Amino acid sequence: MNTQKVKTSKNIEATAWRFMRLSGILLIPLAWFHVLLQDVVVGVHEIDIDYVAVRLANVGWQIFDILLLTFAFAHGMNGLRQVVNDFVHTEKGQRRMAWLLLVIWLIVSAIGAVAVIAGARPELA
Amino acid sequence: MQVTLRIFRYNPEIGRTKPTFDSYNLEVEPTDRILDLMEEVKAYHDGTLSFRRSCAHGVCGSDAMRINGSNKLACKVLVQDVSSPITLEPLLGLRVIKDLIVDMEPFMESYRSILPYMVNDDIPEDGKERLQSPEERARFDDTTKCILCAACTTSCPSFWSNGEYVGPAAIVNAHRFIFDSRDKAASERLEILNQRKGVWACRTAFNCTEACPREIHVTQAIAEVKRAVFSGSLE
Repeated sequence: MNTQKVKTSKNIEATAWRFMRLSGILLIPLAWFHVLLQDVVVGVHEIDIDYVAVRLANVGWQIFDILLLTFAFAHGMNGLRQVVNDFVHTEKGQRRMAWLLLVIWLIVSAIGAVAVIAGARPELA
Repeated sequence: MQVTLRIFRYNPEIGRTKPTFDSYNLEVEPTDRILDLMEEVKAYHDGTLSFRRSCAHGVCGSDAMRINGSNKLACKVLVQDVSSPITLEPLLGLRVIKDLIVDMEPFMESYRSILPYMVNDDIPEDGKERLQSPEERARFDDTTKCILCAACTTSCPSFWSNGEYVGPAAIVNAHRFIFDSRDKAASERLEILNQRKGVWACRTAFNCTEACPREIHVTQAIAEVKRAVFSGSLE
């Protein structure tokens, strides 16, 4: 066996690649649990504004929903960044598009988080 | 048996600036190779047909092309293994020079960029040779089989969309030296591949593994290089 150890630098591409794998693994239980609970256990026809209000009154569900939104969306946006890189070939263009996608991710995640927190009715908890 | 051979033709030297397909009906044996059919066309039907070939036994890698849409070596595919009409096209992602001949220079440039040679300036212990155990040799055995035919790189969708991506073949050849216990330039090679146009451009499509005529586990080799970038371990 080759027991040599080498040093390599970390960069955004390597970090993004690892993030895609880790967030993908995390999304499996998050998304499947979400689908199983909402669509199978509860059922889509039972979901109304009262159900949502009761559900979001629980801090645990708030964290779950915000995590699901931010991870799934970040995973998707990074995938979109890769697709953009296939069509935008200049370093400058790729950097601009990456920033744009990051800003969109931040805004949509923030709106989603606000909706989850503001939609909660603590008196129902 | 009768087969129809459809060949991509392009020759700006004689005014064929628009790619077209020429068809030839040939009487062949089921065990004939596609290369044999091409030789027959060149010898008896159209001497202007141009393609690369050298050893004709799957070792030199010069006759890689798209055969019915898949990257293969013309000398390793038998007529009985493909359906007629048999369509021959040049490799995708590289500039076509003439007929089935593509410009291999971008491919070779990527290959050269990963330092495809042994780097070790240390004097061996006995002053003569660098010993290696069978296990150490086995670690990179699979990637020594590459013949640089470009079938893998030109089957890669990441390479099609971004010609700057070094491509599977360059990574395979980097793997061959990175995991060689006698080599000392692993960190340099990993640094070269630790870029957007390096291993991170790989999207794990597995086209390369499917296309390799030497049955190298290309995607696995790329994954091992990715892991080495993160862990720094060459085991």
